[in-house]
Amino acid sequence: MQTSSFASKLNMASPLSHTLLQSSSLVAQGAEARVYKSSLTIGGPPFLLKHRFNKQYRHPSLDASLTRSRVAGEARALLKCLRSGVNVPGVRFVDASEGILGIEWIDGLSVRRLLPGGTEDEEDLDGESIHDPQAKLSAHGISVGNLMSLIGIELAKMHAADIIHGDLTTSNMMLRHLTKFQVPVGSSDSLQLVLIDFGLSYHSALVEDKAVDLYVLERAFASTHPESEPLFASVLQAYADRLGKEWSGVKRRLDDVRLRGRKRSMVG
Amino acid sequence: METYTFNAYPDHLNTAHVALFHNLKNAAALRAQIRAAATSPDEADRDAVNFAFVEPRLITSRLHLQTAIAQASLAAAQGNLRTKTVHSEILWALNPTNNITEALRRYGNSDTSTTLLVVRVGGMDVPAETVLKQMNEVAIGDVQPLDTLEALTDWSSVKKYHKLNNEVAIKTARDVNHEHQIVDNIVVTSVAMKSVVS
Repeated sequence: MQTSSFASKLNMASPLSHTLLQSSSLVAQGAEARVYKSSLTIGGPPFLLKHRFNKQYRHPSLDASLTRSRVAGEARALLKCLRSGVNVPGVRFVDASEGILGIEWIDGLSVRRLLPGGTEDEEDLDGESIHDPQAKLSAHGISVGNLMSLIGIELAKMHAADIIHGDLTTSNMMLRHLTKFQVPVGSSDSLQLVLIDFGLSYHSALVEDKAVDLYVLERAFASTHPESEPLFASVLQAYADRLGKEWSGVKRRLDDVRLRGRKRSMVG
Repeated sequence: METYTFNAYPDHLNTAHVALFHNLKNAAALRAQIRAAATSPDEADRDAVNFAFVEPRLITSRLHLQTAIAQASLAAAQGNLRTKTVHSEILWALNPTNNITEALRRYGNSDTSTTLLVVRVGGMDVPAETVLKQMNEVAIGDVQPLDTLEALTDWSSVKKYHKLNNEVAIKTARDVNHEHQIVDNIVVTSVAMKSVVS
């Protein structure tokens, strides 16, 4: 009996990660990874498990090294953000050889779902209130303007630490409702804007990279949310206030990027 | 003593027993016993001290210790241990650098310890009472609930070892509780990603 169960385990690629995924529930599926809700110990706190599955279209050894370095890169970016005071989920579990990254579970809604237009084409077809983002925002006790400020502040903190997110969208930001237990004593703010998905992030001090990061978000706003111009303007205002003297350089470059698009011209 | 069951881990690694001792009476003798066991020809001597002995003052939360146990057991399950046993691997996972001697010195027990965390990683086949009895045979002191762990944490040493004193996150903390939350999250993150650092 002992030997047969051992043999069956040998046949599987990795028994541990395999059973870990089986015991988790699928939350979302993307092209690069699947996301699960899981927990490490039975009865322990939940965490989010991001599995970068095998890509059949890549050579196995290339796939293994890419997956490993992406998991490592994402974890490192999260640690750098935490050390720099940027609100991001903490890392809870890493199995780089299997492409598994476990991060802190964030309770809340994505900013996309809190803004007008963000809930279209999603599964939210039930009930009136869901279609009224204003109601959702006021349920959280926050105005659109304050939400935009929170975004600008978080982005400024991240760029001040020379971290470029690489995929800023309103889906990659969450408004977290801290429980009483998590709110520091004597503090009234129970809402926290948390940046997520650092899968495409990298380290750079270049004004160009920061400007492009903002430009990507501006386009994301424009394509997801109607009448987004005043919204993004207030994001930039908070970003500028927080970033300080570095802002003038970023602003100038952002204007350039708007004219030419995300890619730099390689001609001339 | 608390017992944690790890989802999905292989049978011989899915259980961890953790006991927190206060008023430890035999710190120096225990270290001598561990040293002697390492070179003893008798397997029973090694079995008697087959635990991880962890310095509680450097542990910030249950999750911190659980994360170290999970990463150590993962390495053991995959044959990737960087130290000799799963128990020493827990100390290695807790230490921010790759230096094993430093990990044992900082995060292991010392001759002057008066409090101690004792950890046994194994299977569910050994009953918790048996493990607790074995723990009480090597550590002489009072087993207290793990909730008393928080009061023991030496936050300034934790910050020093993790080089957090000049970080923006620490400087901008609103108050001491907020700072402890931030430090705990950073420390847990560092332990969880130890295998991919550098």
